[in-house]
Amino acid sequence: MATVAHGERVRTRRRPLSRRLGSAGPFTYLFLIVVAVVSAFPLYWSFVIASHDNSAVSAYPPVLTPGHELFHNLGRLFNSGEVNVNFWTALVNSTIVASVVTVSVVFFSALAGFAFAKLRFRGCSFLLVAVIGTMLVPVQLGVIPLYIEMVHLGWANHLQAVIAPNLAAAFGVFLMRQYIVGSVPNELIDAARVDGCYTFGVFWHVILPAVRPVAAVLGLLTFMTTWNDFFWPLVVLGPRNPTVQVAVSTLASGYVQDYALVLTGTFVSILPLLVVFLVLGRYIISGIMRGAVKG
Amino acid sequence: MSGQTAVEARVARPRRTLRSRVQRVDSSVSPYLYISPFFILFAIFGLFPLGYTAWVALTDRTLLNPDTHFVGLLNFTNLIHDSYFWNAVENTMAIWLIATVPQLLIALFLAHLLNAKLRARTFFRMCVLLPQVTSLVAVSLIFTQLFSRQYGLVNYGLGAFGASHVDWESGRLSSWIALSVMVTWRWAGYNALIYLAAMQGIPEELYEAAAIDGAKSWKQFWNVTVPLLRPTIIFTVIVSTIGGLQLFTEPYLFEPLKQGATGGSARQYQTVVMYMYEKAFAGTQFNFGYAAAIGWAIFLLIAVISLINFLIVRRIRSVEH
Amino acid sequence: MSKHLKTPRRRVTTLAAALVVLGLVAAAMVASTASGGRTDKVTLRVGLFGDFGYHDLYTKYEATHPNIDIKEDIESYPDHHSNLAKHLAVGSGADDIESVEVGFIAQFKSQPNLFVNLNKMGAKSLSKQWLDWKWRQSIAPNGAQIGLGTDVGSLAICYRRDLFKKAGLPTSRAAVSALWPTWQKFVAVGKRFQKHAPKGVSFIDSGSNVFNAIIGQLNPAYYDSHGKVVVGSNPKVKSAWSATMQAVQAHESAGLAAFSNDWNTGYKKGTFATVTCPAWMMGYIQGQAPKSKGKWDIASVPGGGGNWGGSFLTVPKQGSHTKEAYDLAKFLTSPASEAYIFKQTGNLPSQPALYKSKAITSFKNPFFNNAPVGKIFTDSAKKLKPQTTGPHQGDIQTAVSNAIQRVEQHKQSPDKSWKQFLKDVKAVA
Repeated sequence: MATVAHGERVRTRRRPLSRRLGSAGPFTYLFLIVVAVVSAFPLYWSFVIASHDNSAVSAYPPVLTPGHELFHNLGRLFNSGEVNVNFWTALVNSTIVASVVTVSVVFFSALAGFAFAKLRFRGCSFLLVAVIGTMLVPVQLGVIPLYIEMVHLGWANHLQAVIAPNLAAAFGVFLMRQYIVGSVPNELIDAARVDGCYTFGVFWHVILPAVRPVAAVLGLLTFMTTWNDFFWPLVVLGPRNPTVQVAVSTLASGYVQDYALVLTGTFVSILPLLVVFLVLGRYIISGIMRGAVKG
Repeated sequence: MSGQTAVEARVARPRRTLRSRVQRVDSSVSPYLYISPFFILFAIFGLFPLGYTAWVALTDRTLLNPDTHFVGLLNFTNLIHDSYFWNAVENTMAIWLIATVPQLLIALFLAHLLNAKLRARTFFRMCVLLPQVTSLVAVSLIFTQLFSRQYGLVNYGLGAFGASHVDWESGRLSSWIALSVMVTWRWAGYNALIYLAAMQGIPEELYEAAAIDGAKSWKQFWNVTVPLLRPTIIFTVIVSTIGGLQLFTEPYLFEPLKQGATGGSARQYQTVVMYMYEKAFAGTQFNFGYAAAIGWAIFLLIAVISLINFLIVRRIRSVEH
Repeated sequence: MSKHLKTPRRRVTTLAAALVVLGLVAAAMVASTASGGRTDKVTLRVGLFGDFGYHDLYTKYEATHPNIDIKEDIESYPDHHSNLAKHLAVGSGADDIESVEVGFIAQFKSQPNLFVNLNKMGAKSLSKQWLDWKWRQSIAPNGAQIGLGTDVGSLAICYRRDLFKKAGLPTSRAAVSALWPTWQKFVAVGKRFQKHAPKGVSFIDSGSNVFNAIIGQLNPAYYDSHGKVVVGSNPKVKSAWSATMQAVQAHESAGLAAFSNDWNTGYKKGTFATVTCPAWMMGYIQGQAPKSKGKWDIASVPGGGGNWGGSFLTVPKQGSHTKEAYDLAKFLTSPASEAYIFKQTGNLPSQPALYKSKAITSFKNPFFNNAPVGKIFTDSAKKLKPQTTGPHQGDIQTAVSNAIQRVEQHKQSPDKSWKQFLKDVKAVA
């Protein structure tokens, strides 16, 4: 176990950082390239199949290069006479749902996380444990009564049914709390109070700007998770007013198995997310590195 | 910080008293106000259904038949004697084990590599998150094709190496492996980034000191990085446990015929959540009472396993600074 | 002012963002609750689990009923029925017309209060239109008629002439039909086939399709006339199992799960030479493997007649346009419509009057080598004996499919699999 005897002068020659942390030798690059290929391959392959006609799926040996059918397949996908689901509606629905949920989760998580991190009140620890405890509950457990609840509220088959239950997330609260505890100095808060801020002012002027890195991370993760949510939208929305995942699944269980069409659907369903990811991901990843999410 | 003259202070005092009263109320009420949205939402959309499920588990409620009778713990006693339930538990645990352990080790290793000075660092870091961007439905469809018996890429690859084709979906271990590959592929990068973020908090001096002591990068990893990552590792283990034991979408979409949600002809990859779904929604039974009991069993299982995991992972050596 | 206070511009941006979000939420709520638009136009939704061949009929109906707009929803067979049950139970979400397959009709008719009693709408006067047993299949215990029959699935065997030729078997449909008057002979032909079959080609697609066909010829099969499950005690079920097992163990089966992706691909690739063909399978084959046109032909099924499948159109009570829905259902199941559908998809009408119509009986299907499908299937339909089905038919079906697959996948011996199947049946019924 390495220990540092404080006060001992470090006399050795300063070796470059890379060597100290483990140099990025050729093996590292090779491994990472393999990982990158493996990570991207299924996406790439779905693009390949989407750009061929249906026979490519069962071609043997398998097809690995893109074809020319992509735009044709895209046209078929959005031609609601041809497919059994309205894909455009699905895209719009998913965008609305994911956006609203993301903003809400980030806001409410910051709010609650701030309270748990910096405010003193009775029952703080107990309630924090309760928040974490709610994560233990499997989503599918309450599906049936939740569905009945949605029907009573008149929300079944409508977007509210998938938005409302997701407006706050325990994971987000937990994440925010950990971050705020570690990264927001109490001095800032005291300063704001002295300046005359009530608690909400502290939240608005101090906390929100300070949690930008982790808010971006949480926002991206929440957006992705909501976009990819399958089970609950399947139960409560159904194929008539679908989100994108339900639409893809409906495509896949269609009468005639047209895999090229299905994978065109999955490809289209991934695109918006990919765009968000590519645009924001860079900022977020370097944000993680700067902000340091401490577990 | 902002200075005040004595005059101003005297003038400000009466207002400050009211103000400080308001501030006291604000300080005591605000925390509860701020955490209440979460709890209110949870109460409406989480707790209430839970309570109702607890009630339903004690009845013989089915979807179509409005007549419901209280049956006490009958569903639970039936569950204990239900070999298909225990089969599902076994499948779930096996898949979870095969998926989670290598996955977290890979994630740890990946994070270590991504932490080094690299060219195109951000590119690689973003690549490992790509599997998270791909939707579950898409992943399942794509991987089911890849693992298809006759036309799948995996079998094609095996054939190229001279190995015989494997009927992935039909076998017990093979289906577990196929599903574990899916789960690992999806989550390894995500966990790697979590570890990576936590690694940013490790001060360089510790590495320096280890290097002075003659430790190569590998030893530095084990002796410095891992112990300091312990809280994060615990976090990922618990989150992976909770998620892994609830596995549903991948095995559900892996099945060629979704009619029964049985997890294969011999229920070889039916997970517990899938079993609950089968009892509640598949086929003609719509046995909500029994499905609710299964749901509670799952909850118990997750709680117990999470606790065990927590206790095990805690025992990673911690470092005295 | 403390440097941590946001500038006014920042605040405006945040406020704007919040408004945008609220606007999106509002838009979402409006969008999802908006109906078709004009209040005088009625939109009827028809929920199906496959292609029933209705497209042109919709156009015809909309032309004569300008205030009606028809939309079709197709889901997979299991999803469709599962979702229907769900929507019925919670009282919302069902379509105006919902199709129900014969495997599920017993389950739904046991809850007649969820459906419109079509007799009250005037269907009673139409009852003679249908085969008597078909009409009775959708009558609830309390006498309410909940469905109008669409098709019946009378049986034949569809086979690939080219693959038969390669294996040295006769190819003309008369000769082929003469090869297998009984299922035992069918299995024997399979052995002959496998001896000289092209590589990778099996005689049958899956054991369960053979099993279903044999069961389709029995009455009683799974249920007796009192509604009791007799799977274990019915010797005919056991002999259906034995025949199927003989075929499987003689390696005649491609081991595909019927209606799975691999099975669909199997049509395209020609991995099996025969498939038990109810009339509606013709449309399916045409859809899955259009390139195999002309290679298929149709022979009679061992044992003569038999029924597999067939559906009904029901009108859930929760709909807001039940009268219009009933009128549409009446139209879609009228003799003229059903005759038209037969020519489109091969779905055999459930109206006996049509069996005498020249247009039907002389109909030949070029996809199947100009087989006189009209004559083949109507002949088979005349020999149809109705089968008593029960509420848990679907579950028994799933259990036996799994049981047969377990043997095909070499996971269990036939005896063990049978025993487990009986246990599963006991658990559901």
